[in-house]
Amino acid sequence: MSEAAVKEKAGYLVRFTPAQRVEHFVTMVDFVGLVATGLPQKFYTAKWAQALITAMGGIDSVRWVHRFFGVVLIIAVVWHGIGALRAILSRKVGFSMAVNKRDFTDAVQTLRYYLGLEDHPAAFDRYDYKQKWEYWSLMIGNVIMILSGLTLMYPTFVARLGPGEIIPAAKVAHSNEGLMAFLVITIWHIFNAHLHPDVFPFDASIFTGKISRERMEHEHPLELARAEGREPPGHH
Amino acid sequence: MAKRLFLALAVALVATVARAEVPAEQDSCLGCHGSDPSMSMDLPSGEKVSLHVDLAIFGKSVHGDMLRCTDCHTDKADYPHESKPFKTRRDVTVAYYEQCKKCHFANYTKTLDGVHYQLAQKGNRQAALCVDCHGSHAIGRPGEPRTRVSVTCSNCHQKVFDVYSSSVHGKAVTQGNGDVPVCTDCHRAHDVADPRAGALSLRTAEICGRCHTDQKLMKRYNLSTNVVDSYLSDFHGMAASLQKGKKGKGDRLAAGCTDCHGVHDIQRPDDPRSSVMQANLVKTCGKCHEGATADFPKAWMSHYEPSLKKSPLVWSVQVFYYVLIPFILISLLIQIALHLWRVVVNR
Repeated sequence: MSEAAVKEKAGYLVRFTPAQRVEHFVTMVDFVGLVATGLPQKFYTAKWAQALITAMGGIDSVRWVHRFFGVVLIIAVVWHGIGALRAILSRKVGFSMAVNKRDFTDAVQTLRYYLGLEDHPAAFDRYDYKQKWEYWSLMIGNVIMILSGLTLMYPTFVARLGPGEIIPAAKVAHSNEGLMAFLVITIWHIFNAHLHPDVFPFDASIFTGKISRERMEHEHPLELARAEGREPPGHH
Repeated sequence: MAKRLFLALAVALVATVARAEVPAEQDSCLGCHGSDPSMSMDLPSGEKVSLHVDLAIFGKSVHGDMLRCTDCHTDKADYPHESKPFKTRRDVTVAYYEQCKKCHFANYTKTLDGVHYQLAQKGNRQAALCVDCHGSHAIGRPGEPRTRVSVTCSNCHQKVFDVYSSSVHGKAVTQGNGDVPVCTDCHRAHDVADPRAGALSLRTAEICGRCHTDQKLMKRYNLSTNVVDSYLSDFHGMAASLQKGKKGKGDRLAAGCTDCHGVHDIQRPDDPRSSVMQANLVKTCGKCHEGATADFPKAWMSHYEPSLKKSPLVWSVQVFYYVLIPFILISLLIQIALHLWRVVVNR
């Protein structure tokens, strides 16, 4: 029996490649590192923040660690960008994160379903509108964090290129965007990947790369149908 | 004070009774030391020590109605006096200075943490002792008048005093203004901190803030009291308060007030000599920020809160997030709540 057949028999499909899983793992660890070294700097007057900074060896070492994680983030984003570009260029894979008109109608339908105005939520393809929203928020956020972070790291250089006011503006952006990323991840991502009734207590597919056929039918019916060469199930 | 006076009298009385043949009374001492202004002693160093005490001056001093000669000159109760092997005038001062701690123990203990004592311990005999600042027979109330304090320090620290005298604070002192800081306001009096260790410059927000956050005081000079808060909420202030004076290997401590405004040479920001004058800022920032160019100083908002008028870019970014963060979070929470509600209803 071939590998794919084994998985098929066990009722599993491969959702993420090993490279994607590694990418998620690196980003996850990096995000925790950035938050742990970044938030105490934002809330530096609070007792807990000062205790954390002291525990991590003082503000100067916290800064170096934060910069290290920042550089890792830059590498991860560039790496991801190259991968996304290659997917776009290869006709076969395509760019499944691209936002299209359907995502908006899906969102409306799903919200109507939550409100009891529709019988079914929208049927989703490889990524649903929530996942796309989170992906793009994260991508835009990463670009803001990287640009503002580099500005704060090299203020004299940036002041040679443009007005000096960019630097305090970058500080405000970095601080607020960082807080927002932290809140969105803790509220939205933790809900969708852990507390969501369908996956509770833990959606492991990004770590194992596998997803059950049952969940695919439920959460990504359009992708499943395409993979199996069927017509997508009827939707509104 | 009354108690101490009583004690001094009691001690004197007992001493008188016990050794009636050696009068320790003020008058007895002044019989010799108070009459001849030229009375002096030659030291091996060639210096002369005056042995004359002007009763009028001592009487007006803080100790005039309180202490007897032998309270400090404890070894001079006998006559003829036991001869001491003093070689220099400094020997005399060093020998007598410990007498002060008998009464002034708290302040004496403080001096043990001071830079003068540390220097003295290392063998520097010029390091200031009690009497070098307070005087001996003519001791007045400390800090009266306030303007005298810096002049006292100038006896040794002349160069720094000259710089200070031409600063915005020093000039005011010479005009008799008591509002401005004198040496001891920043450096302290007894436990004078060693400024070279860097600990003092990191405490500047607190030290300068004592006056510069005092609304009543600042109003007299039309100065903002927001300078410390705006400093603390920005990068330098945050870093300085977290560094807490601890310097790791290769760390550079974040700028405190004095790093930009100067220390003894502080001038009004509109004075051409001021290091925070617009024209001098690039150089001032460049002290830490290598390669700072003309626009770099604008990275610092000059103690102003970002506003549409002062820093429109910073202000806009701030407003953008003040709106965006609550909007996003509330939207997400509403969607989660609706989702969970649907799950519950479906069951």
